[in-house]
Amino acid sequence: MEQAAGAGENIYMVEMQGISKAFPGVQALDKVDFKLRPGQVMALLGENGAGKSTLMKILSGVYQRDEGRMQVFGKDVELNLTPRKAQALGIAIIHQELNMCRHLSVAENIFLGREILLKGGRLDNKAMNQQAAEVLQSLNIDLDSTSIVGTLPMFMQQMVEIAKALSSNARLIIMDEPTSSLTSREIHELFAIVRKLREQGRGIVYISHRLEELEHIVDHVTILRDGQFVAAMPWKDTSLPEIISYMVGRDIKEKFPRVACEVGKTVLEVRQLNAGRLVRDISLQARAGEIVGIAGLVGAGRTETLRAIFGAAPKESGQVFLDGKELKIHKPMDAISQGLVLVPEDRKHDGLCVKLSVRSNIELPNLDILSSKAGQVNVKKVSKASAQAISDLNIRLPADTVDAASLSGGNQQKVVVAKWLVRNSRMVMFDEPTRGIDVAAKVEIYHLMNRLKQQGIGVICVSSELQEILGISDRIIVMCDGRVTGEMMRVDATQEKIMALATQFEKKIDAISA
Amino acid sequence: MTQDARKKGWYRRLFAVRGMGQIITVFFGLIALCIAFYLANPNFLSQRNVANLLRQIAPYLIIGIGQGYVLITGNIDLSIGSVIGMSTMISATMMTRGMDPWMVSLITLLPCLSIGLLNGFLVATCKLPPFIGTLGTMTIARGVAQLVNGNMNTDAIGTASETWRNFFYYGKSLGVYNTFWLALVIWFCFNYLLSRTRTGRHIYAVGSNVEASKLSGVNVAKTIRSAYLVSAFCAGVVGLITCAQAGMGSMDAGTGYELYAVAASVIGGISTLGGQGILLGEIVGASVWGAMYNGLSIMGAPVAWRNIVVGIIVVLSVLTDVVFRSGALNRARIRAAFGKKISTP
Repeated sequence: MEQAAGAGENIYMVEMQGISKAFPGVQALDKVDFKLRPGQVMALLGENGAGKSTLMKILSGVYQRDEGRMQVFGKDVELNLTPRKAQALGIAIIHQELNMCRHLSVAENIFLGREILLKGGRLDNKAMNQQAAEVLQSLNIDLDSTSIVGTLPMFMQQMVEIAKALSSNARLIIMDEPTSSLTSREIHELFAIVRKLREQGRGIVYISHRLEELEHIVDHVTILRDGQFVAAMPWKDTSLPEIISYMVGRDIKEKFPRVACEVGKTVLEVRQLNAGRLVRDISLQARAGEIVGIAGLVGAGRTETLRAIFGAAPKESGQVFLDGKELKIHKPMDAISQGLVLVPEDRKHDGLCVKLSVRSNIELPNLDILSSKAGQVNVKKVSKASAQAISDLNIRLPADTVDAASLSGGNQQKVVVAKWLVRNSRMVMFDEPTRGIDVAAKVEIYHLMNRLKQQGIGVICVSSELQEILGISDRIIVMCDGRVTGEMMRVDATQEKIMALATQFEKKIDAISA
Repeated sequence: MTQDARKKGWYRRLFAVRGMGQIITVFFGLIALCIAFYLANPNFLSQRNVANLLRQIAPYLIIGIGQGYVLITGNIDLSIGSVIGMSTMISATMMTRGMDPWMVSLITLLPCLSIGLLNGFLVATCKLPPFIGTLGTMTIARGVAQLVNGNMNTDAIGTASETWRNFFYYGKSLGVYNTFWLALVIWFCFNYLLSRTRTGRHIYAVGSNVEASKLSGVNVAKTIRSAYLVSAFCAGVVGLITCAQAGMGSMDAGTGYELYAVAASVIGGISTLGGQGILLGEIVGASVWGAMYNGLSIMGAPVAWRNIVVGIIVVLSVLTDVVFRSGALNRARIRAAFGKKISTP
């Protein structure tokens, strides 16, 4: 039953050819090929934004492809694939953020949408509990099928998702970062289950950033970069260094303006900052005259670190010093008033009030210095400050009364920076400052960062693009899983070094594996 | 494991039912409340007042059931009070024109259900925030209530409707007012629908996680629509009870009832955040509510004070719901606001 329908040994379970998908402004996938045989565990690898998730979402019907041919179990798949239809074809996806009804029981989740009914439309809870128990048993999982899913640990929830896939007879199971929140013992259990599924002839697509764990289960790898197919080969014919070099590529495509600057005194110093699972014991420094780049994979805790420094997320412990003076930061206003500011990752959501005018956006965080003691806003001061910031940053707009929403991404980003320049900030932290803006605008943002650097203002820049990190930073800090795993000067840095540090997870896997 | 649990006595089985913990806690609270009112005025537990109390609880229980359905899907229905008013006015107007009261009852439910359909359409299909969508229908339904008799309350509905009024309000069966029996029958039907059928299961699933439900093939829009239909039906029935009680139609009947329904639900353990709670909680919640109202009035508390006490209870019960159920993040925020630690149960 698990074998591909009417298939011989050599037929592919999934065959995707020339798959392309564009989102507004980005070509997410460009003629990508992907093939999978029954009984194969395929690792799908690539940097952040390489297109792995997009490809799998196309396979599972969440997105529609723009072009390309797709065959599942030897049958052509039409363009109108939906999650429902993909399920009917036997494709199940286990999302990174598990998609379960937390308030329902294990059996209720497993049979959601496929409830077993008695005559007269009554739910047959007995049968559902029993069948759920059988599936769990077949996975060697000791779990009461009537437990409430929300009370279970992450690993068990994941097992429930797998059981749900199996009970709906999925023959192809896609796992997106399944080990990211598991302990070492749980990872071993998960791998045992993956091997079992492979023996049953099911196909597994395994997406993971943890390269070191792949050797325990993977048969084959497919590597994507920038939405393009790079390579596919059997695991035994390759090596980790080779995979990493395929993932990062070799050529730097964009130009990065640089200015030489004398490195001065320390502007920002963070000592042993802790704030939740993704900010653990972080210490770092930023000096005048340098740009500090923070590299890492998505989920490494970089954004969380900046937010904790800025006071936008609660700290557990740690100290923050600005120009040698310790700051007590409980909320963002504390940081702002002392000259420590953040240009957040999602500028439309966190950086701007897009429905307000550019001028209102610029005045908003500066109302304390732009209004009288009684609280009346000094319109003259506001218009002067706004005009000054706009000309300083070379923001192109018809008038500062237009909505921020009407500007291009690059100009919006500049408005976010303009907010902070009005009040002579000492330290600017950028979180993914060039995401989603075009190349020319990127270069302008780089110029802007260089200018801050020249003025002796501290600059930290988080970026997921390795080339950008290498191109603009003077010093690079690499984070992985909430910790700083390395620091190096730009001249010593290579993409391979950064990638190795960025995937340096705490050893969860030891030698016990089969 | 399950088999073992079953053998371990009734109390374990009772606590194994989801949401039972809060219901039992509140039940003890209800008993304490009744004792307190009894000590303040022994008449509280007189045969006569208990019968009255049960009859007073009934409408709260019925609208609580409707609101409970909607809350479990993670939405809210603000139109309940206006639908009650609409139902009262429409039925009373028709009866003053000499129509048969039973026929009238059936006809009245139709416009009520269409408000439910409209709510479902706005919230589930058009994806309006439920607060806004049902605020709109709330105003519309109240407008209809004012329109049917030319912006006037109706005259008395007349002697022809004597049996009808007894059925809904004044008559007793087995020593208890019919209104209470009616509420109990409605409770049994909708409890069955919610706990034993696929629609009921989907109502919980949608309230728990819309995305997961959609990906599992649940028809989310249809599920939300049916919850709003139940709510409108319940409000329609309460409108008929109100009409039977007053013997006339009043345009402001039911004002504020949507919030009483939220209160009864939340006190009974149905979360405003969706996915949680069982209808048994409505019985306890509505009882607390009814006892509060009845007890305060027996003690001679002025209406103004009753309103204030009851309002405080609504806010407190929703606040505890939000604090206890919405997870650490929200708790941290509330903690910061109060400047002290709030512990979880």
